[in-house]
Amino acid sequence: MTLLVQLCNWLADSWVGTQIRESDNLFSLIETVHVLGVAASAGVIMIVDLAVLRLVFARYSISQVLAPLVRITWIGFGLMAISGALLFWSEADKLYANVAFRVKMLLLIALGVNQWVFHRRLTSPALVHSKIGAGVSLGLWTGVIVLGRAIAYL
Amino acid sequence: MTVLQACEWLKATRLSVFIRESKWGFSLIEMVHLLALAALGGALLIGALRVFGIILNEQPLQATLRDLSRIIAFGILAMLLSGFLLFADGPLRYYGNSAFRIKLLLILAAAASAFIVYRRFQARSALSVAPMGLKVATAVSITLWLSAAVAGRVIGVL
Amino acid sequence: MSSWFRKHSRAVMILSVTLLAGGYASAHHSFAAEFDAEKPARLVGVITKIEWTNPHSYFYLDVKNSKGDTINWGCEAGNPGALSRRGWKRGDIKIGDTLIVDGFLAKDGSHLIDARRVLLPDGRSVYGGSPGDGGPESDTPAPKP
Repeated sequence: MTLLVQLCNWLADSWVGTQIRESDNLFSLIETVHVLGVAASAGVIMIVDLAVLRLVFARYSISQVLAPLVRITWIGFGLMAISGALLFWSEADKLYANVAFRVKMLLLIALGVNQWVFHRRLTSPALVHSKIGAGVSLGLWTGVIVLGRAIAYL
Repeated sequence: MTVLQACEWLKATRLSVFIRESKWGFSLIEMVHLLALAALGGALLIGALRVFGIILNEQPLQATLRDLSRIIAFGILAMLLSGFLLFADGPLRYYGNSAFRIKLLLILAAAASAFIVYRRFQARSALSVAPMGLKVATAVSITLWLSAAVAGRVIGVL
Repeated sequence: MSSWFRKHSRAVMILSVTLLAGGYASAHHSFAAEFDAEKPARLVGVITKIEWTNPHSYFYLDVKNSKGDTINWGCEAGNPGALSRRGWKRGDIKIGDTLIVDGFLAKDGSHLIDARRVLLPDGRSVYGGSPGDGGPESDTPAPKP
């Protein structure tokens, strides 16, 4: 894994990484986008999970609710990915060694897998499988948010 | 009792001491604050998009806004509670922080605006298209909530 | 209500576990959890390294202890924006300068302090950017009533 370590060091030492890390306000700005963007990404997707669980928006069919809300989350995830990448760029070496960051990335991968496994079931009669997926998604997103905060503390 | 005296009184309470000296108390409260922010912000975003007629127009307003208002109310409650506990960790520190003072004012304004939006929604919930008054009130409310959130971020970096 | 719990017990369990784990894992770093407000300290030393960075700045001093040994201490300060708002810029301190730093010791006994006030080489006294708790050493002291 020393290749990854070298890559992280190279990123952190690069001009862009250094500019962000040593900036007066740019880092705080990017971090603010990342923290507040949690509402447009994780927040909305967790409400989608509640809809799949039929706890909200019960008057709508699942397909009516899913498409527009998931579209919002794509924008939200775009914001999170860009701001997250810039934050990572500025402290890649520290984050690589950070346990909370590593587990957070694992949870995001797990969420991707979960999404792929259960998304196909959403329009089928076997809704119960999608409900399990929604429950798992709620738990994992909570973990992602919690670990994101924990990064600063480890 | 002045506000400053109230802060000093709070700092001396067992609650404040407990949070200040606990290893994980403050961090846990911060995480609840962040989770509530995600839920509240997500619900506000979806609600605003519905009011502006961008999504979920197939059903009348109440089909979305009734459920969202429950999430929003719960989210505000959770934010206020966790926010108060965060404040209790160091009342004098926040008292002296100008971003915190501005945030409090913005939250008051945002909560008032949310109440106005809710009343307008209730009067028109059977409609499918939101009247202009509701749209304007929603736009103002979203701006206030967003400003309060940004002020909250500035507290930490000031 | 209890049937709701039974249906979603798995999600509730995951939620509780991650909250607790996250809280425990983060135990090290809120000010009160990392630094000891009962243990003020003053360090006088020569700068060996400067990290003028987000989210915290650090500068490292070679400090002679009472026995004459030289120990390298870390001083944690605010982010660059916070420091410039408190009157000091990146170039104000250089490797080889002598600093006097007042702060509070890390609870875990490591050679780290939370820099509250710093006496710069040019004679200026500046806050380290850690807001403190509103007490006497505080960056944001409570205003007079």
